[in-house]
Amino acid sequence: MSLSRRNFVIATSVAAGGSMVLSACSSGSSTGKKGGGAGHGGADKYTGSVVVGTKADSTGPAAEIPGAKKGGTIRGIAPDDFSHLDPQRIYFSWNSAIGDLFIRALTGYKIAADGSMKLVGDLATDAGTMSDGGKTWTFTLKDGLKWEDGKELTIDDVRHGIERGFASFTTEGAGYAQTALTGTADFRSKYKGPFGGKHLDSVVTDAKAKTITFKLAEARPDLNFTLAMTSYGAVPVKGDTKDKYDKDPVSCGPYRIKAHSIDKSMTLVRNPHWDPNTDSIRNAYPDSFVYEFGPEALQSADRLIADDGDDKYAVMAYSGVPAERIQKVLTDPELKKRTFNGLLTGIYYYAINTKRITDLKVRQAIIHAWPLEQIRKIYGGPSAGDYATSILSPDIVGYAKDDVYGKLKKPQGDPEAAKKLLKEAGKEGQKVVYAFPTSNTYNKTKVVIENALKAAGFTPVMKPLDSTSYYDQVQQIDNQFDVMWFGWSPDWPTGYTLMQPLFDGSTIANGANNISQLNVDWVNEAIKKNVVIADPNEAGKAWAALDKRIMTEEAPIIPETFQRRFYLYGEKVGGATFHPLWSSAVFYKLFVKA
Amino acid sequence: MTIPTPQAATPVEVEEAKPQSISGPSAVKGGDGRSPGKMAWLRFKRDRTGVISAYVVIFFFVIAICAPLIAKLYGKDPYTTYGSNDPSLLDDFGSPILPNGGISGDFWFGIEPGLGRDVFTFLLYGIRNSLLIAAATTLLVTVIGIAVGITAGYLGGKTDYLVGRVIDILLAFPSTLFFIAFWPVMLSILVAPDENTPVWLTVVSLISVMTAFGWASIARLLRGEVLALREREFVEAARVTGASPARIIFKELLPNLWTPILIQATLALPAYVTAEAGLAFLGVGLTDPTPDWGVMIQRGSDVYQSDITFMLFPGVSMVIFVIAFNLLGDSVRDALDPKTKR
Repeated sequence: MSLSRRNFVIATSVAAGGSMVLSACSSGSSTGKKGGGAGHGGADKYTGSVVVGTKADSTGPAAEIPGAKKGGTIRGIAPDDFSHLDPQRIYFSWNSAIGDLFIRALTGYKIAADGSMKLVGDLATDAGTMSDGGKTWTFTLKDGLKWEDGKELTIDDVRHGIERGFASFTTEGAGYAQTALTGTADFRSKYKGPFGGKHLDSVVTDAKAKTITFKLAEARPDLNFTLAMTSYGAVPVKGDTKDKYDKDPVSCGPYRIKAHSIDKSMTLVRNPHWDPNTDSIRNAYPDSFVYEFGPEALQSADRLIADDGDDKYAVMAYSGVPAERIQKVLTDPELKKRTFNGLLTGIYYYAINTKRITDLKVRQAIIHAWPLEQIRKIYGGPSAGDYATSILSPDIVGYAKDDVYGKLKKPQGDPEAAKKLLKEAGKEGQKVVYAFPTSNTYNKTKVVIENALKAAGFTPVMKPLDSTSYYDQVQQIDNQFDVMWFGWSPDWPTGYTLMQPLFDGSTIANGANNISQLNVDWVNEAIKKNVVIADPNEAGKAWAALDKRIMTEEAPIIPETFQRRFYLYGEKVGGATFHPLWSSAVFYKLFVKA
Repeated sequence: MTIPTPQAATPVEVEEAKPQSISGPSAVKGGDGRSPGKMAWLRFKRDRTGVISAYVVIFFFVIAICAPLIAKLYGKDPYTTYGSNDPSLLDDFGSPILPNGGISGDFWFGIEPGLGRDVFTFLLYGIRNSLLIAAATTLLVTVIGIAVGITAGYLGGKTDYLVGRVIDILLAFPSTLFFIAFWPVMLSILVAPDENTPVWLTVVSLISVMTAFGWASIARLLRGEVLALREREFVEAARVTGASPARIIFKELLPNLWTPILIQATLALPAYVTAEAGLAFLGVGLTDPTPDWGVMIQRGSDVYQSDITFMLFPGVSMVIFVIAFNLLGDSVRDALDPKTKR
């Protein structure tokens, strides 16, 4: 019999299998040797805490970056398009990251080379003057500010930007300043926005002196931080296309949008009317920015590892190096050179539903049992972040490291302590329903969580939820979950932006973020009291004390990690730094290397 | 989950000389009195690849059945996260510290990155679960396919037309997409929001969905065979002598159909193994912590750049199994149906 096709198939498949085995062994041992090495080589310094800068800090131009030169194109790769470009509709940090290039607000954050931040005047000459115990704030506009069509940026444009926040089509944006101005969270019932020709009485402008004064209904000693949010950026009165402004915003920053193909790409080019002397925050070295939307983290990481062609000028703009590649990137010195990293300001945690788990001892037992170390190992170990033990993150003014439940000593979980508490509560075998969004990572962490809860004497129930509707499902107040994966990032680095949305009982509603559904009188009152403390350090101490008391007496969350992210960039990219607030690259500091 | 119709659909020569009817004269003609079954067995034994494949397949089934026993002797189980419990096994990134995916005297096939479960027992139990699901599906598909196919072919007329259209629809249906879309919906109806999804429910629904979409191809094949057979003289003769339809189906038609049925079944089983693994890979079907071949390969595809050993064991074992089973199917066909030339 001649050699049939079938025999031939066997021969080749065995040969292929053999070579696979060989290559596997060699690659396995080369990575295996590195194992056990301590350290993640990432940032250890939290840079989110902010000092308020002086008038000199607010005066442009921004300090030159050593070695930087003008020209060239920087390419940003990101999984998603910018969902909004209208400043008043921007709340999502990825949109704010691009907003930095063409939107300017009264104040802004000046980021130093080491990542430390200063709050300075952006459109304003300084970070504002407070009087009347935080109820009145005054800002003076800089000279020489222009829109991309060459027209002057006036104080009316600044006011217009604030007032647009009341309009019916800007619900996506932040509401802090509107609430402070009107004294109610339902501020749209008080004022309908500037399009009816009416202005807010509480915002007073003086065109001659170029000042704008806010007369607040509630004291806000940190209003200057609030106004640094992209949601309060200036919009030209003439040229405002209302709800169409989202498609084609007018730039007052160093770049303007030249082309935008939704979900595909966006090109920004220089705005010739931007004067660097008016801007102490932004450098603007590249001639243009080109963003490409679509590639997921793994894809873009692989492209930047390959570093071919145009990708030499590319930067992972928003999604970090995923757990699957982090070891390869950090153990290869050539790749490691092309990374930047930073710690996120936010906290990842598990909310315990206090409506369902009413017994404090059971909640404490869950916290004791939770296997932080095993979870972080799945995320990628210490390179993925630091253990969290408090509600406030280390970036927050006044943060005090306290570890009420000894999680730093026993990050792998303490089933004995948990069992003891459960026994005291008489709830041995308590059922715990854990809800999480389905994804590769959380399907893994589920396994260690289930094991840890079993070891501590609970009856765990695992509920994987569809990741796109995850937030909608856990934000229902009548949900049937006991422990829910969650994360929160503060809008500016004071305790208020964490405590109020997450633990103020009055915010409990479908779609709200207080998913622990904590509604305790002393917490609600403390939040009201702390927000009006004028001295930032005193306020910080008060928030830290509240943090400790909530964790000790209420135990509504299991803090998990303050996460660290690594990003890759191409070999021709210079000046790559991490934006502590947006957790993206600081675009306006990038340059093309010679 | 769409199972490509194997080439077994090529018309199978009917061995007109049925065992009962040839016993007398042909025994003299053939000289040594071998039945067609014996001849097929002899032909199969001569086919070296077929025999080797059969051994490989039997080996897989034996280790699948004996998985708990092997795990007990070996002293590990697939659920304990050894790496998480013992910090000396995994490094800071969650990769095994020892080379080659952490292979050592304690962990023969290494340990899983991240969770640190034992790869050897996990693979054994994964093979066990996958084979169980695939074997059950194949059995059900074959039984339903035989019943529907023969009925439609024998009765003909309106029944045949109706069954034919149902088969058309099923074959045209995107079953994988259907399962991915309806799986979460079905679970939310069947499982209370504060209860775990029971593993048996997953297994039963996997088997039933794969069966629901799988019987159509075998039924269509058998219908065609029966259509040709029922006009043959021996069937007509049986009918004339007053045999009941049941007798005709079971005694006259079915013995002539064992060849395509066997071939179809042996080729379908590896297809269901890969289909089940594919569904698990896509995130429906069995999920962690239940060991599964597809779940392992999915995890392997995430980490292969830093730990290819973990991809290797489930991947290579599945390749070997599927190739061996397909070759076995080929050899069975060759043995039963020597006139099909390729």
